[in-house]
Amino acid sequence: MPQLGESIAEAAIISFLVQPGDNVKADQDLIEVETNKATMTVTSPCSGRIEKFTTQLNESYAVGAVLGQIEATKEEAARLGLDVPAPAKTSDTDRVTKPETNIRSGRVQPTVRGLPVPANVKGASYLSPRLKARMNELGLHAADLAGIAGSGAAGRVTVEDFEKFIAHLEKQRMSKASTMRVAVADAMRRSWTRPLATVGLPVRLDALLAHRKSSNPKPGPALYALRALAIALAENSAPAGRLVGSNIVHPSAIDVGFAVEAEDGVLVPVIRDADKKTLKDLTQRYNELVELARERKLPADATGGSIATVTNYGTFGLIWATPIPLPEQTLVLGMGAGRRAPHWDEAKGQFVPVTEANLTLSFDHRVLDGGGAGRLLQRIAELMLKPEKL
Amino acid sequence: MLQTVLDANPASETLTARDTTLAAYRFMLRARVLDDKFAALYRAGKIHGGVFLGRGQEALSAAVGISLKRTDVFAPLIRDAAGRLAFGETVLDAVRTYLGSSLGPMRGRDGNVHRGKPLEGYFPMISHLGAMISVVNGALFARRMKGISGTVGATCLGDGATSTGAFHEALNQAAVEKLPLVLVIADNQYAYSTPTSRQFICADLADKAIGYGVETHSIDGTDLAACLKTVGDAVARARASHGPQLVVAKLLRLCGHGEHDDSNYIDPKLKNSLLGRDCLKVAEEFLFHQKWTDAATLATWRSKIVSEIEEAVAQVRREPAPDPYDEKWLAISSTYLSELHDEDSGS
Amino acid sequence: MSITYLEAIREAQSHALRDDPRVFIYGQDIGAFGGAFKATKNLAKEFPGRVLDSPISEDAMVGMAVGAAIEGMRPIIEMQFADFSIVGFNQIVNQAATLFWRTNVPCPITVRLPFGGTEGGGPFHSQSIEAIYAHYPGLVVLTPATVEDAYSMLLEAVAIDDPVIFCEHKFLYYHLKAEKLPSEALPIGKARIAREGRDLTVVAYSAMVHEALEAAMELSAEGWEIEVVDLRSVKPLDTDTVMASVARTGRLLCVGEAWPWGGVTAEIIARVASEGFGLLDVPPQRLNAKDTPVPYHPNLWMAHRPTARAVAAAARKILRR
Repeated sequence: MPQLGESIAEAAIISFLVQPGDNVKADQDLIEVETNKATMTVTSPCSGRIEKFTTQLNESYAVGAVLGQIEATKEEAARLGLDVPAPAKTSDTDRVTKPETNIRSGRVQPTVRGLPVPANVKGASYLSPRLKARMNELGLHAADLAGIAGSGAAGRVTVEDFEKFIAHLEKQRMSKASTMRVAVADAMRRSWTRPLATVGLPVRLDALLAHRKSSNPKPGPALYALRALAIALAENSAPAGRLVGSNIVHPSAIDVGFAVEAEDGVLVPVIRDADKKTLKDLTQRYNELVELARERKLPADATGGSIATVTNYGTFGLIWATPIPLPEQTLVLGMGAGRRAPHWDEAKGQFVPVTEANLTLSFDHRVLDGGGAGRLLQRIAELMLKPEKL
Repeated sequence: MLQTVLDANPASETLTARDTTLAAYRFMLRARVLDDKFAALYRAGKIHGGVFLGRGQEALSAAVGISLKRTDVFAPLIRDAAGRLAFGETVLDAVRTYLGSSLGPMRGRDGNVHRGKPLEGYFPMISHLGAMISVVNGALFARRMKGISGTVGATCLGDGATSTGAFHEALNQAAVEKLPLVLVIADNQYAYSTPTSRQFICADLADKAIGYGVETHSIDGTDLAACLKTVGDAVARARASHGPQLVVAKLLRLCGHGEHDDSNYIDPKLKNSLLGRDCLKVAEEFLFHQKWTDAATLATWRSKIVSEIEEAVAQVRREPAPDPYDEKWLAISSTYLSELHDEDSGS
Repeated sequence: MSITYLEAIREAQSHALRDDPRVFIYGQDIGAFGGAFKATKNLAKEFPGRVLDSPISEDAMVGMAVGAAIEGMRPIIEMQFADFSIVGFNQIVNQAATLFWRTNVPCPITVRLPFGGTEGGGPFHSQSIEAIYAHYPGLVVLTPATVEDAYSMLLEAVAIDDPVIFCEHKFLYYHLKAEKLPSEALPIGKARIAREGRDLTVVAYSAMVHEALEAAMELSAEGWEIEVVDLRSVKPLDTDTVMASVARTGRLLCVGEAWPWGGVTAEIIARVASEGFGLLDVPPQRLNAKDTPVPYHPNLWMAHRPTARAVAAAARKILRR
């Protein structure tokens, strides 16, 4: 269907002037059509024989629609350049295509939904595009700017404040942080975006120490805590759940990690299904993982995917600490250094020496309250008093 | 122009009325066949945009083209296929512009009747009617300033264009500057669908000449002999420094405003009047009457012309279309001053 | 010896006529009368037949210039006021500006527009319409702010092979003076740092450059150093110089005497936002005339257009963010 007028988009067929089988000459009138401006005829592009019409009387067809087919000789087609293959319009996405004339497609929504569009530059948290570009250049995050007092409106950090800060920094001695350090920094920063709290209580170690002395190979002290945690979570996994929106996502397996100090950072090997294997079964595996971690040769399947972590900060001589859970976890159980302490024995009416250590549980307070945390910790301590059952 | 006639008859040193009339007729015939071909191509969907024919105006237009010298200036308008051919335009250039060939004078950047070669004194029209007249004025003015004498500038327009401000300003300007301008108005009774009764109230467009202080000529636009005589006179008077010449020819448009228009608004009375005669037929009858040619010769000419045009169309249809990725997308010649935007830097 | 902006324009035309026989000037009242602003005083006498009075026909004036240019001449058209050039708008944007693109034949015409507001000018003798011409492809649009630029840029405009819209600010005609004419100049297409600064970039053109410089002095007393960029040409726009200045200061204020919608100031901000977003420490701002026709009464006129006070006030708002 030819373009029979500037804004014409279609025309209706009002009569066929030839029949299929007829021989026609170039420029001969073939079909009479009607637009909203006039009645016109469609002419033959070449000489040949009408093979068929693919359109019907009284129907409207869009400009460009195929109306029928003419059989022409090769020579005729070549003479008129009709044998040139049609350019691939739609498949070649780079080429210019005809603009869509159909404007009936969906209308654009007039509002910007959901996104708060700051109307003016106010507030200490506003980072201008220039500032963001500079920070990007230097690999810095908003957390890194915490130490800068902004001189802009409502305390915002202007690019001048920033440049002064950088200039000042450059006067200090600097050493490059390792990749490990930067990764840990990022993890801690992300973990800290949650409200974290810690509860703690002391646990008597005498039974554990005796059990350990008589074992071969010797399980690491943290493994006792790990098994106790695993059993407690197998009984009630909610404390290790994650809060996503308004749902608590329960763990599917009790995989528990434990912290191992490696050069300039901490690695967390994982014991899979820690609730299903006994302390005895796990001891060798645990020791292997500690070695591999120290040498930074942990296999991929031995890291990641744990639902809670155990950390023995007692190895540094610390009696109390508030560790930070991994950003994807709700809980971290810490154990302090064991020491001799006097304990009041009511029956004997005197102080008796015991060996005890502090257990601390840091948790995401959105998932757990003090009560839940306390109950979990009490159960762990209870389990650790009977090491032979672990 | 007459140069073309001389080329066809190298033996003759002076041109007789017979030579000129036969030559003019051949331009008319060629224009008619070319227009018919464009109309057919349009209805086959082979032409983008509009097609505008000069059917019914060939005698007048050919007379203008043939009366000019190649060194003159000519700004033809919509219905001047005959005049363009007579001035020296090739069929190939006309076809190339209509089919958008990148080898045509407009290289696909403009199309249909918007074609020309400015440096050859043949100006491509813009769509705003009346706007080309002052451009012709400028060319004539420049020649005068450069000390070139004897140039005539001609431009054609329709009855509708005489209503534009551009027409008024330019005709007035030509008169004030006493430029050798020949302004040929083809009063074909309609501007698109608007009859002349809605275009002007003066009794005759020729009367406007009085208001501008210029000489005027009136002709029956369907009569080739009359057109040749009068247009020739007007050109001669302009060349002889008598100032702008207004030529008003009365005829009837024998086609739609464009080929998308079936012109069913044209008064049938006009179609059946003398005004509605086909100037090609009138010319043929005149030539037979003068015994300057016969039907067999005309038939031979026609079939030769048909082949020539078929050949030209076939050739152009095999030529390349413009490639947007080859375009520099610059509208000024001083490339160091252009602003290329990212989206222009091609593939 | 001092020379005004207007006299510099006259000198440039005189030198163009003298050095190139293809140059001629066509406009209303420019012959013996020397032009409404005396921009062609004595030139008709000095160059007989080349400085000609035209009828009041802006359409035909420009069309004529195009025809003459096709024949190899270099016409200068003086419009009596920019506001009247609109009558010839069709010939400028559809004839002159498309000739080269359509036919590969350049169109070396120069159209001089006395533009901008003066006291009592009113709605039809005060318009700043450079953005409308700049919008059409095929035109070069110039807005000299200094006496030196008025001279050298007009000479360069006549020498360029493309149609040039040369915007001369009426207010600067007699108010701006310089010691002497320059012997060399920045080429067309390059902006000029009119005043070096540190805290804010103010981009302006024509008369507004002077308002910006005055505002800069006022702000300097308060401890702020403003950098003023004189665009010199609106099309082509020297994006590089603007961008480099914003890279130094991080803050942008564009000032224009034209109306806000789609003006030169909008174009600059669009470019800086899309190509130099990361350079901005605060959102870019613009200051334009009010969105009404230019008023007649001086009280209204002075409030309608940006002044040095208004520029300084707008600058302070930005500097305090």
